[in-house]
Formats: sequence, C-alpha cells, structure tokens
Amino acid sequence: MSAAKKRGPVSEILVQNLWWNNPIFIQVLGICSTLAVTNNLTNTAIMTIGVSLTTAFSSMSLSAMNKLIPNKVRMIVQVLVISFFVIIIDIVLRAYLPDISRSLGPYVGLIITNCIIMGRAEGFARSNPPLLSFWDGLTSGFGYMAVLMLIAVVRELLGFGSLFGIPLLSALLGAAFTPWTIMIMAPSAFFLVALVMWGAKTLQENMKIASKTAVQTKQGGAK
Amino acid sequence: MKRDGMLYTVLFTFIICIVFVFFLALANELTKDRVASNNRLTERSAILSALGIAYTSPDQVDSLYDAQVSTLNTDQGPVYKATVEGQARYAAKVAGPGLWGTIRAILAVDERVERIEGFQIVSHNETPGLGGRIDEPWFKAQFRGEKIGPQGIAVLQGSGKGDPDPENSQLDAVTGASRTSQAVQDMVNKEISLFKSLRDKGGLQ
Repeated sequence: MSAAKKRGPVSEILVQNLWWNNPIFIQVLGICSTLAVTNNLTNTAIMTIGVSLTTAFSSMSLSAMNKLIPNKVRMIVQVLVISFFVIIIDIVLRAYLPDISRSLGPYVGLIITNCIIMGRAEGFARSNPPLLSFWDGLTSGFGYMAVLMLIAVVRELLGFGSLFGIPLLSALLGAAFTPWTIMIMAPSAFFLVALVMWGAKTLQENMKIASKTAVQTKQGGAK
Repeated sequence: MKRDGMLYTVLFTFIICIVFVFFLALANELTKDRVASNNRLTERSAILSALGIAYTSPDQVDSLYDAQVSTLNTDQGPVYKATVEGQARYAAKVAGPGLWGTIRAILAVDERVERIEGFQIVSHNETPGLGGRIDEPWFKAQFRGEKIGPQGIAVLQGSGKGDPDPENSQLDAVTGASRTSQAVQDMVNKEISLFKSLRDKGGLQ
C-alpha cells in the first residue's frame, strides 16, 4: 500500500486496520452487528470494546498455539478459543459490572458471531507471532469501532435526538423535533454503511492517485 | 507424532477442550456468589420499583426490602406484599416467551386488582434496540396506574399514538418489536387473571 515501506510493522498494522484494510468498509465483515447495535452510542461503544478485546486475545492465543493445532480441527479450535474469551467477558461483566451486563444482555453473546474475530484469526494470527497478532486484533477492533461509532452518531442523533442517551436534538428543537423512525431500525444502517463505503473508497482512490503522481513510483495493490 | 495424524488430532482436541472448559468452570465457580447476590439485588430492586417504593442507592435495597415487603406463599407461587401510601399492593414474578428467550419481569397491582401499580423487567434476551427497548423507562412507566379492563390490558401496535390515558387499559407497543410487545401483553394479562382468581379466592390479604 502507499507509503507502506516507510513504516514499521506496528504502525503499518494500525494504518491498515483503521483505514486501508478496514474490517467494515473494505473487508465487509461484522455487518450483522453493525446493523443491530448502532442505533445507540452506549451499546455501540461497549459492543465494539468487547469485540476489540476478544479479537485481540483470541488472535494472541491462537497465534501462540498455532504450531500445535492440527489442520483438520483448526476452525473448531478457533471457535472454541473465541467463545472462551466471550464467555469470560460475560462472566466478568456479570460479576463485577452487573448494570452494564444487564443493559447489554444479549450483546455479549453476539460478539461470538462477529466475523472479524475469525477473519483475523485465519488471515493474520495463523502466520504471525502472538504479540503482533494481539495488536492486529486490537486495531482491527478499533477500525470496526471507528466506523460503528460514526454510524451510531448519525442514527442516535436522528432517530432519538440524543447522543449517549443525553437528549440533544430533541431538547434543542423541542416539539419541532420529529424522530426519524427508520434510523432506529436496522435498514437505515444498510444505507449508512453503504454511504461510508462509498465515501471511504472514493477517498482512498483519490489518495492513491495523489500519492502516485507525487512519488511517480508504481505502488502495490491494496490486498 | 504427526500433527495431522488421527491420534494427535483427537488427543489435541480432547486436551484443549478440557483445558479451556476447566478455566471457564473455574471462572464461573469463583464468581458464582457475586453473580447470585447481584441477581438477588436485581430482583429485589425490580420488586421495590414495581411496588412503587423509592430507593436512591443500591445499598438501601436490602434494608428497604426487609422492612417493607412481606412474602405471601400462595398456591400460585410467592406474592410480594407492601403497603405504600396507605394502600396494600401486590407484586409477583411473571415470565413469558419473548421473541428470542424468556422475558422475566415483576408486575404489581393494587389490592382490588383494578389498576397496575408497576411493571419492571428483570431479564430478557430481546433484540437490542428493538424488542430490548421494553426495558426503557418510557415503556415501563406506561403501566403505572393503568386501569385493568375486563380483558386485562392491550398493547397497541401500529395505532399507538403516545396514549397518555390511564383509564383506557391501552398501552403503546415498541416500534419495530411487534412480537416482543405482544409477548409482554400476553404475560401481563396472564398474570392479571392469576391475580384476579387469587383475589376472588381471598388470597390477597
């Protein structure tokens, strides 16, 4: 990718996962949870933190035992490790943060279904050392978080008139504020994700063209 | 031993499962008491809120509960009784199938089972942001003081217009969550009829 050669692996992974190879708008993974949770910023924040931690820890442990895992049961072991960390997060929340656990309810379990976690386990942790895999998992989660938070700001503001549950638009406009009901429901996230993809990809194309003409060297592909 | 051999694969899978399940069981065992006391606190807070007993911090829940709530053991399970504002109120646990899992809640009624005094969700597995919104204050607040009709209450779907009238036994459903709203209506009505039969038998005293 552009300017890739100048960066070390740590910052390269960060830039890739946040921008050039973002899990949502480039890899198009984890879309189910993007549609489900982004109508509320608080839930989005907790969900994305949970996904980041799970991805980081499961990538790290899978990378650490990579040499031991037989190929035939590779995916079964991946699912085992991922669900292990999700259940640990659930247990910790239930014991020490019961209020958050209650308000999250099924969200914690939904982390398991997030394709990003297995995507990173397969795509990165298999062929990289544990600490780098941890970092890759964490930053992938951050890339996911950034897009989801962006979408959640739009949806909560237009659908409920609030941000993080604090009335904003509804308080400001009073009776003149009409909640845009479709923003609360899952289909609106479809349109917003599509807009984000469109915007991000257009911007990336422009950046590639700009850096090509600036450096006048041939660049490698995105993948 | 070959990494892709049959014996190694079976042994590896077996051992890895034992190791991970061991740690899960350990974590579960270590936090069991905390989780149980959290759950008891959640249930007691819901009973207090449903009965209309105000508390300001979670520390007060246990002492308030012990001081004000008495448990009647009826043939339909425990009924929680408290006298609030000079009126006896009764609460009971209700449970019903939601869209994804069991919805557990507390329903409180007045002495003559004419009005709902309160409704609190204890736990649910409904879709976050859709059915999950039954746990939001606006939804639960609709129940307080609502008159119980001959058929119980009706949760209006589609035609709900922010109904503020406590006399018409009608409540607004959650937008985009017809099945969950229906489930709440069914479980509340079922409990109301249980309360009524209990009242007719003289069980509420």
